[in-house]
Amino acid sequence: MTQSMMSDGSSTKRSLPIAGRKNETLDVDAELARFEAEERARLGLAQEEQWVEKMANLMFTKKEKGKITLLIGGLTMAHDYLISGAFRSLGYNVVPLDAPDYEALRAGKEFGNRGQCNPTYFTVGNLIKFLIHVRDKGGLTSQEVVENFVFLTAGACGPCRFGMYVTEYRKALRDAGFDGFRVMLFQQQGGLSQATGEESGLELNPPFFIGLLKGLLAGDVINGIAYRLRPYEVVPGSTDAAVAEAKKICYDALYEKRSILRALHQSRKIFEKVEVDRTIPKPKVAIIGEFWAMTTEGDGNYQLQRFLEAEGAECDIQFVTAWLLYNVWEVRFDTKNRTLLRGKDHGKLGLAGTSDFHAFKMKASLWAADKAIRVAFQTFANVGGFYDYHLPDMDEVADVAAPFYNNDLRGGEGHMEVGKLILNVVKSKATMTLSVKPFGCMPSSSVSDGVQSLITERYPGTIYCAVETSGDGAVNFQSRVQMYLFKARQAAVEDFERALEKTGLTLEKLRAFLKANPKYAAGLHKSPHYAGSTPADLVHEVAEVVDLTPAKRTLFLAQKKAKGVLDALTNAAKDAPANTRSAAVLFAQAAAELAEIAKEKAPGMAESAVNAARDRLAKVLPFTAQRPVHEPVVAAAE
Amino acid sequence: MTEAGIPNPRTDPVFIGIDVGSTTVKAVVVDPVTHQILWSDYQRHQTKQAEKVMELLVAIGNAFPNLPPGSIRSFITGSGASPLVAPIGAKFVQEVNAVTLAVERLHPDVGSVVELGGQDAKIIIFKEAKNDKGESTGKTAIASMNDKCASGTGATIDKCFLKVGMPSEDAMKLHFDDSKLHHVAAKCGVFAETDIVNLVKGGIPKDEVLNSLADAIVLQNLSVLTRGNTLKPRVLLLGGPNTYLPFLRECWQQRIPETWRDRGYDYPKDVPVEELIFVPPNADLYAAFGAAVYGIADGGDAGRFNGIESLKDFITNGRRARLGEQAGPPLSANEGETKTFVDMYRIPKFVAPALAAGTTVRGVIGLDGGSTSSKAVVIGEDGEILAKAYQLSKGNPLQDTKELVRKLVDHFEAQGTTLEVLGFGATGYAADVLDETVLADVNIVETVAHMMSAVHFFGDIDVVCDIGGQDIKVLFMKNGDIQNFKLSNSCSAGNGMLLQAMADQFGIPVTEYADTAFQAQLAPKFSYGCAVFLDSDRVNFQKEGYQKEELLAGLAQVLPKNVWQYVVQIPRLASLGRKFVLQGGTQYNLAAVKAQVDYIKQRVPDAEVFVHPHTGEAGAIGAAIETLRRYKRTGKSRFIGLKGVLDLEYTATTNDSTTCHFCPNECKRTFIDAKRPDGTSSRYISGFSCEKGTVESKDAMLALMAERKKTAAAFPNLVDYEANRAFVHLYDAAPLPPAGTPVEDVKVVKSLFRVKHEKVTRGFRRSSAEAAQRRKSLRVGIPRVLNVYSTAPFFRAYFETLGLGRSNIVFSDQTSEEMWVEGGKYGSIDPCFPSKVAQAHVHNLLFHHHEPERKRQLNYIFFPILTHVNNFVKDTQDNASCPIVAGTPDVMKAAFTKEVDFFAQRGIEYLAPALSFQEPILLAKRMFETFGARLDITEDENDHACREAWHAFDAFDKDLQEKGRAILETVEAEDRIAILVLNRPYHSDPGLNHGIPEEFQVLGYPILSIRSIPKDREYLDRYYKDELERGVIKTPLELNHVWPENYSVNSAQKVWGAAFAAHHPNVAVLDLSSFKCGHDAPTYGLIADILQTAKTPSAALHDLDANKPGGSIKIRVKTYAHSLRLQQERLEDLTGKKRELARRIDEKRLELLRLRQAQLESVKQKDAALEQSIAELAEKVRAYSAPPPAAEPAMGIMKLGKKMPDGSIQRIGAVADGAAPNTQKPTTEVAASAAE
Repeated sequence: MTQSMMSDGSSTKRSLPIAGRKNETLDVDAELARFEAEERARLGLAQEEQWVEKMANLMFTKKEKGKITLLIGGLTMAHDYLISGAFRSLGYNVVPLDAPDYEALRAGKEFGNRGQCNPTYFTVGNLIKFLIHVRDKGGLTSQEVVENFVFLTAGACGPCRFGMYVTEYRKALRDAGFDGFRVMLFQQQGGLSQATGEESGLELNPPFFIGLLKGLLAGDVINGIAYRLRPYEVVPGSTDAAVAEAKKICYDALYEKRSILRALHQSRKIFEKVEVDRTIPKPKVAIIGEFWAMTTEGDGNYQLQRFLEAEGAECDIQFVTAWLLYNVWEVRFDTKNRTLLRGKDHGKLGLAGTSDFHAFKMKASLWAADKAIRVAFQTFANVGGFYDYHLPDMDEVADVAAPFYNNDLRGGEGHMEVGKLILNVVKSKATMTLSVKPFGCMPSSSVSDGVQSLITERYPGTIYCAVETSGDGAVNFQSRVQMYLFKARQAAVEDFERALEKTGLTLEKLRAFLKANPKYAAGLHKSPHYAGSTPADLVHEVAEVVDLTPAKRTLFLAQKKAKGVLDALTNAAKDAPANTRSAAVLFAQAAAELAEIAKEKAPGMAESAVNAARDRLAKVLPFTAQRPVHEPVVAAAE
Repeated sequence: MTEAGIPNPRTDPVFIGIDVGSTTVKAVVVDPVTHQILWSDYQRHQTKQAEKVMELLVAIGNAFPNLPPGSIRSFITGSGASPLVAPIGAKFVQEVNAVTLAVERLHPDVGSVVELGGQDAKIIIFKEAKNDKGESTGKTAIASMNDKCASGTGATIDKCFLKVGMPSEDAMKLHFDDSKLHHVAAKCGVFAETDIVNLVKGGIPKDEVLNSLADAIVLQNLSVLTRGNTLKPRVLLLGGPNTYLPFLRECWQQRIPETWRDRGYDYPKDVPVEELIFVPPNADLYAAFGAAVYGIADGGDAGRFNGIESLKDFITNGRRARLGEQAGPPLSANEGETKTFVDMYRIPKFVAPALAAGTTVRGVIGLDGGSTSSKAVVIGEDGEILAKAYQLSKGNPLQDTKELVRKLVDHFEAQGTTLEVLGFGATGYAADVLDETVLADVNIVETVAHMMSAVHFFGDIDVVCDIGGQDIKVLFMKNGDIQNFKLSNSCSAGNGMLLQAMADQFGIPVTEYADTAFQAQLAPKFSYGCAVFLDSDRVNFQKEGYQKEELLAGLAQVLPKNVWQYVVQIPRLASLGRKFVLQGGTQYNLAAVKAQVDYIKQRVPDAEVFVHPHTGEAGAIGAAIETLRRYKRTGKSRFIGLKGVLDLEYTATTNDSTTCHFCPNECKRTFIDAKRPDGTSSRYISGFSCEKGTVESKDAMLALMAERKKTAAAFPNLVDYEANRAFVHLYDAAPLPPAGTPVEDVKVVKSLFRVKHEKVTRGFRRSSAEAAQRRKSLRVGIPRVLNVYSTAPFFRAYFETLGLGRSNIVFSDQTSEEMWVEGGKYGSIDPCFPSKVAQAHVHNLLFHHHEPERKRQLNYIFFPILTHVNNFVKDTQDNASCPIVAGTPDVMKAAFTKEVDFFAQRGIEYLAPALSFQEPILLAKRMFETFGARLDITEDENDHACREAWHAFDAFDKDLQEKGRAILETVEAEDRIAILVLNRPYHSDPGLNHGIPEEFQVLGYPILSIRSIPKDREYLDRYYKDELERGVIKTPLELNHVWPENYSVNSAQKVWGAAFAAHHPNVAVLDLSSFKCGHDAPTYGLIADILQTAKTPSAALHDLDANKPGGSIKIRVKTYAHSLRLQQERLEDLTGKKRELARRIDEKRLELLRLRQAQLESVKQKDAALEQSIAELAEKVRAYSAPPPAAEPAMGIMKLGKKMPDGSIQRIGAVADGAAPNTQKPTTEVAASAAE
């Protein structure tokens, strides 16, 4: 029909007066469109609306920064508190949320989806609980709460439900009346600077991550010391008092941008004053399992750590630092597996789009990251007085787990639960291993536990307790733990008595020695690892020196130290030729390759490029500059 | 044991062991030297643990009058022990440790222990620990307890006993007989109870019911609690139920040796089973005795008995001191508030209207045959309720009906009036049997009945909340009809039974519940959820010292949370509306009503909350009203009449002859044969689990199957089709190229800093002819589970290309109940059913498909760890499988190699490589690493096979999408509805989806799977026109604007499917999800938002598990069918409106053109083209007035068509019978369902 009018060129061009309205054009199409819209509305034929997520990826601007309060939470209380100090020093208003409690769980259940895992209910509920409190008790409107608060949390991209927390946060926030509330994420594997846009008030830049890292490391060290002291403290409550003091010192240092190491050093002096008695046999319980359940200190795990200590155990906890190492391991492992493929796959882990140098760069930077984390941790630990702690070797954990739990399987702790249990047993690192997981944890309850049943079968005598926190009634949970703890306590006593028997030491003699040599009885003193529990370690350590005169003892210790150094030197010397050779090969290979690469990239400028590259390389591998470029490639020594 | 009343003159020290359990308190006095039990007692504590313990301590004091103070040591164990530790001065001993110690002392030769307690079940297995040299280093006890679930515990047995109604003295004489067992789901105490009720109703003899229960409980414990371990002989049975119920004991004695035989465990066959598996004397006392043994072994000074004074003090003062701060507010702040509330909400007592003697009253009967009780009403022609009758169910619906009708007739006769029945309507569980036997005029589903009743009394309402004995129904209304609904059939959380059971616990009649609860000054805060969890909360609270009125108040307060947060899950109540009607028998309990009203008003301040005036009979009234309506419209009734009912004779038969043999399920059916007074008879069959059970003979069976097949053919079910198609040969692969054929390859050159890829061309490498020959006979078994459902075409094509025989690629069978029962006892964990069931599939391969005796041995079981699978959604963050789905192959490896290496035993190699369908190159490499040497193939052959496998994958997709498109275009052209099943691929397994899609298929709705939706833009774009134009999306296959956290591939696809349904007017949604599904749970709210925003009809079943929730499925299907019918009407209206719109536009255009013509004429001009248009348009407008052609009946046979470019639908070929066509030549017919 439009056709027929268009064909009539002359008439459409002319203005036609509408009857009754002079000098107006009759535009049939416009008139019809208007009519159609009216009719559609009348008949109820309007287009159905479609759901669009409007709360995703919200941010706040630099302008808003001043009035925004950042809410953080999710780690231990020490961590959250210290990190809040670090962030405040960057000009943010920060409030760390309390450890989630049952009230949080109830809020999570009211506003969350059904069938969630417990950390979701607890953490989501914790935020909602806080916001409702701010609104109802603080006299703010919902809109003001939305405008003035932002929640900052770690994000992930699956494969377990952890990556979907944000979906839950949004649903719960919306249903609780906080539509538009901003939840901001930083990715765990995103590296030291993540794109947040120029206008973003939250800058995920190196200072942000360095502050975060300092808080994490200091938190780990303080927690580590506390768990070593508390079970053996002579004056109940003295450890907690020291912890509170130390946390404050470190917080202030972070907030005032002073040296955190100095603060840790001051903390050490405080911890040194806590008196302990390590002559009472206590089982060492390694807590593994799902990250949140084993980390939280609130109702989320029925205050598991405190419960274990009250039941007469020493807790061996996992550190956030170890989690960082696991993240580094993941990337390293995945890259390694794909480096030599005959092509580059797409997909999240595929190497499509990366350069030929990608694998090397990744390997180097991840190696550096791993070492940097370890060095930083050891520095913090030594300064703070957390002596002789060995962060897990991630490759070892992966290797022992691999026959049972495929290293490609991810989610939660991945293969680590299985790997850690095996290592705990094989290396008698703990009297008992307790794997705690929240109700509904996918990787832990439904995969790891299934595999662990085989591990306990392969290693009979293992005291291994896997337990789920349902959030309902602590009785069953604690009863289950007690069931295993009973055996662990027996084992710890046997362990201790065996140590005494084996070394010929008696309890009286041990105590007398400790009285005479307070260094060995000091709270921060760490006996070398002999058996699964600390008191037994102490017996072994003391037995070696108990009958020596002070002078001989000094000599003995010096000799022992010297032997250690000697062993290292001997090994070094033994390995030296091989090391030298491989260094030479490495260098030669490197040089030849550089030349080749340079030629390929800019044939005319090969020489200068090689020199430039060599200079750059010299900073990484000091021996490069000493050799000529043209030496032929030596065949690889292997 | 000491005789009561004779004091023991002993003065030597004694050790007391006390066991405070959930229902009983046990105490023993033990001689520390001889370990002899000097005294013992066992008492039910009726929740007064502390008092009962004191009573026993006093009794011990009396029995040993000469014991010097300080010579008594006390050790306490049990779930209720911890608060009593300090008052008594006892030391706490964990229960399992106590039992273990007792067993080790009394029975050093026992290999395992099974203890069933009131609230817990424990299994202890003693394992010999060995050192490196294989020498024994003593025994370790591996113990497992039920964590938080009441399945398989004494509580379940107690609950079910009440339902069966067998006196305990009879139960103690009963013997186990496995010849007549019926299905009882012991997975959850609540499910079990429902099944028991149904069996009792179905007329199954009590002994059979109890035997079935015992069997279910034993199997439940064997499959779950053993955590995959084998119980080692001798097996000690402990705990109340094992002690008192011989049939339970005998059931263990039968089932445990079966597991030994199944697993090839070498047990002493020459020892009588009664000695291998036995209940010791004093089985109740083991925990108490063990506690004392612990104390004796402990040495030390712990557990020095305080005397009873501090316990007394604890009972009177200590307990309650600390409650105040944790507790929540009471139901009412004060008596005034209570009184006001009660005055407002008390339901007036029904007084039947007085009738003049001698008159004849005309009315209809409505009957609601409920789960625990049945009700009937008579409604007069004007809608007035003339009489009511109530009947506690006696287990047989016909008997109940007869008695109800008798009561009604008596009511009228007593007044000297006669009732003339105009019609009879039924609803509830009994509706079907009444439909059949008394020829009811109306048989409607409960939800619809409740809705009609509520609307009858309150008119335009928004929400109807019906809380009955066993279920909760919440109906959301719009324009006087059900718009949506939520049901809680499979879970008892928050229903009337819960309150009833709790009142029973305290010995309070339920009628006094409210009065008691209103007295509370504070109330404990229960966490809402499963009834069983609530009960464990109750135990805790009681222990903390809460009194019964407080517990009852707290429980009433948790009811609305269960209803609105657990069942309904819509936190913003205000979004539902403001007029709420509460009905169902529970509303007689004003404590519950108050909690509900307060809860609703707190969230919807201007809410009006009504309680139905006939709250218990709402269903019956609804049925009556519908009957009346129908009578008024038709004036007819087919009802057999009152006398007919009263004289109805029936027999219920359940025996071998009624067993259904049409499938291996062997359902034990009950035939209820009713003989009407006029001589006609009818048979109603109950107790079957599928429609096959509705027929008696083979001929009838064949007729039924043919009928179903026809229906199924007419209404294609692509979910079912996909589930079958994925595993059959569907693609003819290109053969392996001859050796030397030029191939492009990439050479990888690795140097220190970089990895270079150099292209090379070289000849194709082939393996030897012998290798190829050998491959022909190799057999690979693949479990038909999890994401194998979406990737099987790839693997089949891979192996086929390499020359394995088609029949040598063996998939395990589809999941079935027998398969699960047989193979479901190996796992040590309890994840979602889809991953748990993998063990049954591996078992199925090992025990059924590995047949070396027939030269059909399996060489490999291939169960890949699929970390990532393919996705059609374009913008996802990742396409990862759920971690459980991915990890299950390793769990299976652990389960089947733990005690015995079942693979090695059979010479089978178990292969579980990690594969990612996101990375084809890595995938090919991993396949080669796995199969290169084993199949003796070259890497070139491997790569070729992988390429072909990808083609097969595509062919599978293409075939499905073609069929999906045919369905979609047909329903759109015919204003009909197709149901899109939103599920994870493995829910296509009929054993997992329990045939739910089929229920809808039979109702006449074609079923689409997500995979079958066409994904080409040519098809999709028009539904997304608006968003594409606005630039919200670039392609319809995007998801980030709806859900950014879309890394889980199967969840992302479900959400995308929901969004597609929201865009397509003719698609309704059936959302299926498994209990415990961690990747689905976060999307529940999201999917609901997507569908509600677009007003797409949907039904969701989110808690699918091993058990088929028959009743639950039925009521959902029926109610959802009601909604779908409404949607169909809406669609028809929509077409009508669209037609009207077109007509109105044409008329308007005509009007405008005529106006223009007039304008032209006014300036003396003429336009021939314009006049031509006017003439054509006028003709068209005239045609609108002609009567429209008769529409095809909407529910007729569905003929699939393909949309032609001109918009017409061209019918396509007949429907194939099951045989899957080869996609090399794509066909468009849709294969009928299953039967391969």
